[in-house]
Amino acid sequence: MKKMTRLTLLYLAAGLLVSVWVFPVLWAFLTSFKTERDVLAYPPVFFFTPTFANYHEVLFGNASILPNLWSSLVVTCATVVLTLCIAVPAAYALARLRYPFKRASGFYILVTQMLPPVGLVIPYYLALQRLGWLDTYTGLIIIYLTFSLPFAIWLLVSYFEDIPFEMEEAALLDRAGRWGAFWHIVLPQVRGGIAVTTVFVFLNAWNEFMFAVLLGGNRVRPITVAMFNFISVEQTQWAKLAAGAMVAMAPVIVLGILAQRHIVKGLTVGAVKGGGRR
Amino acid sequence: MKTSGNVRLQQVVKRHGETTVLHGIDLEIEAGEFFVLLGPSGSGKTTTLRILAGLEEVSGGEVWFDGQNITHTDPGERDVAMVFQSYALYPHMTVEKNIGFPLKMIGASVTEIKRSVEDAAQRVGIKHLLERRPGQLSGGQQQRVALARAIVREPRLFLLDEPLSNLDAKLRLETRLELHQLQRDLGVTTVYVTHDQEEAMTLADRIAVFMDGRIVQVGTPREIFGQPAQISVAGFIGTPPMNLIPAVWHQQHVTVFGEKFEVNANSTEVREVTLGIRPTDLRLTTVGLTAQVRYIEDLGDYSILNLKVLGQSLKAKVQGLTALHEGDTVQLGFAPDAAHLFDRSTGLRLN
Repeated sequence: MKKMTRLTLLYLAAGLLVSVWVFPVLWAFLTSFKTERDVLAYPPVFFFTPTFANYHEVLFGNASILPNLWSSLVVTCATVVLTLCIAVPAAYALARLRYPFKRASGFYILVTQMLPPVGLVIPYYLALQRLGWLDTYTGLIIIYLTFSLPFAIWLLVSYFEDIPFEMEEAALLDRAGRWGAFWHIVLPQVRGGIAVTTVFVFLNAWNEFMFAVLLGGNRVRPITVAMFNFISVEQTQWAKLAAGAMVAMAPVIVLGILAQRHIVKGLTVGAVKGGGRR
Repeated sequence: MKTSGNVRLQQVVKRHGETTVLHGIDLEIEAGEFFVLLGPSGSGKTTTLRILAGLEEVSGGEVWFDGQNITHTDPGERDVAMVFQSYALYPHMTVEKNIGFPLKMIGASVTEIKRSVEDAAQRVGIKHLLERRPGQLSGGQQQRVALARAIVREPRLFLLDEPLSNLDAKLRLETRLELHQLQRDLGVTTVYVTHDQEEAMTLADRIAVFMDGRIVQVGTPREIFGQPAQISVAGFIGTPPMNLIPAVWHQQHVTVFGEKFEVNANSTEVREVTLGIRPTDLRLTTVGLTAQVRYIEDLGDYSILNLKVLGQSLKAKVQGLTALHEGDTVQLGFAPDAAHLFDRSTGLRLN
C-alpha cells in the first residue's frame, strides 16, 4: 500500500513537471486547428470544430512557408554536415595528439562561446557585405558555422577522450593503419556523440532567428523569419502562427526520435577493463 | 623449432624529454623462445615491449627481426601480435568480429576468416561466445578473446603485456598453464612482460631482469634464482626475498655477527661483503647464529619464521608445521654452497 502511494506521488510529480513543458506546445497545437475567432475567444474554448484552414493557408496559400521550409532545410543541413566534417577530425586531434598549449587551445574554443551573439551582428554584417555574401546561403551558413563549430568540437572531444589509446594501438598492430584505426575502431564508438552533436547543431541552426533576419531576409528567408510575418503592427495571426510553428517543429521531432536510440546507445557502450585514459 | 622469429635489440635507448627510460638495452631472443621481461614497475620492461611492437620510437639503437632492421618499420608491417594489459578489445564488435579483425584488415576472404576465427576460438576455448560482445564477457573470457585475436593470423612474434594481471588468483594459475601449453603448441617466439617473479619463473625459457632502465641479468629461471648477478636481483626474486646480511669474507669463511661459516669460494684478502641466504637455505642447527623467533607465519605446507639476530631481521622457510613458538631461541646455519656473496659497494656477485 505504501509503495502504491509512493508511486502515485512520483507519477503526479513527474506529470506536473512534464506538463510545464508540454502545455505551450499543446496549446499551440490546439490553436493551430482553431479559427482566428476561436483563438481570441474569452474565456478560451477547449471544445471547438477543428479546421485545417490554417495549415492549408500556411502551406499552400498566398503566404506559403514551403519555400522557407526549404531555405531552413538547406541552411541547417549544410551547417550540420560542414560542422561534422570539420569538428570530428578536429575533436579527434584535440583528444589524441600531444602538442604544446593543448589545454589552452581547448579553453580558447570555449571562449568563443562566451561572447553574446548580439555583439557580433554588426561585425558580421560588415564582413558579409564586403564579401558580397549578404542574404546568401553561403553567408548565413558560414555565420552559423562560427557558432556551431566550437560547440561541436568541445562536445565531441570528451567522446573521443573516452576511447583508450590502446584500442587504436591494437588496431595499428592488426594492420588497420592510422586511417583504418580511426574509421573501424574510433568512429563507430563515437556514433552516440555524433548523434548528440547533430541534434544540437541542427536545433540551433533550425531555430536561429536573429542572424537569419538581419543577415538574410529576402532571398534567404528561413522559416523562423517567415513565421515572423504573421505578426504585424495591425494584428497577430495566432492560428496561422501556431500552424507554422507546428510545421516547423515536425523535422526536429523526427530527427529527435531517430537520434534517440543512438544517444542512449552512445551513453552505454564501453567494455574495456580499467576504463578510459584521461 | 621454428627458424623465424629471432629478435635482437642493439643498444636501444629511450628518452622522454629529460628522463632516460632505457639506457642502452642489448638483447637477443631466439626463435620459438618464451622470453620474459621481468622487473618492478617503471623499470622499462613495458617500454621495451612497445619498442618491439613499433608503438614507441627509439631514441637510439636498433631493432632487428630475423636479420632485418625494423627499427623504423610501422607496427602493422612487423608481423607481430600483442595482448594488452587492458586487452583493448573493440567494444562495438562481436567476439567473432574482434578475432577476425586482423584478417579482415589484410583482405582475407570471408570463408577464410570464418575458418581461422573458429580455429583460434577453439584453441582458447571460447567458441561458444562468438556472438557476444566484449561487454558481456567476464575478465577471463575477455582475456581469451584478446589471445585469440593475437594468434589468429599466426604472427612471427607474440607480445604479451602483463596479460594475467587483471585475473583473480585461481584463474591466473589456470591461464598460466594454458598459456604455456599454447606457446609450446604454436612455437611462436613470445615476449612476455610481468612484474610477478613467480609467473616469470614458471613460464620462461629465459628471463631478462630489468632494473631502472637496464637489463641486469639474462638467464634461465634456474640461473636467475640460483646465481643472481646482483643484490637487486637477489632481493627481487624469490618469496620471501633473500636475506641480506652484512658480513666479512676471508679465505673460505664469512664472519656474520661474530660467527664463522664456511663458504664455497675463496678470498685472499679480507673483504666487506653482503651475504645473501635464501629463506629456504637457513637451517635450524645446534651451533651457529643465535636468533630469536619474533613471529611465525603458518602457511599450511610450510611456515615462515620471522627471526631477529642482533637487530637484523631474517626470514626462514621451513617445511610443514614447526614445533617452535614465538619468543623461542634457535641456532641458525647454512650449507657452504647456499651462500651468495655480493660486493658491499657495487652490489655485484662475487662467487
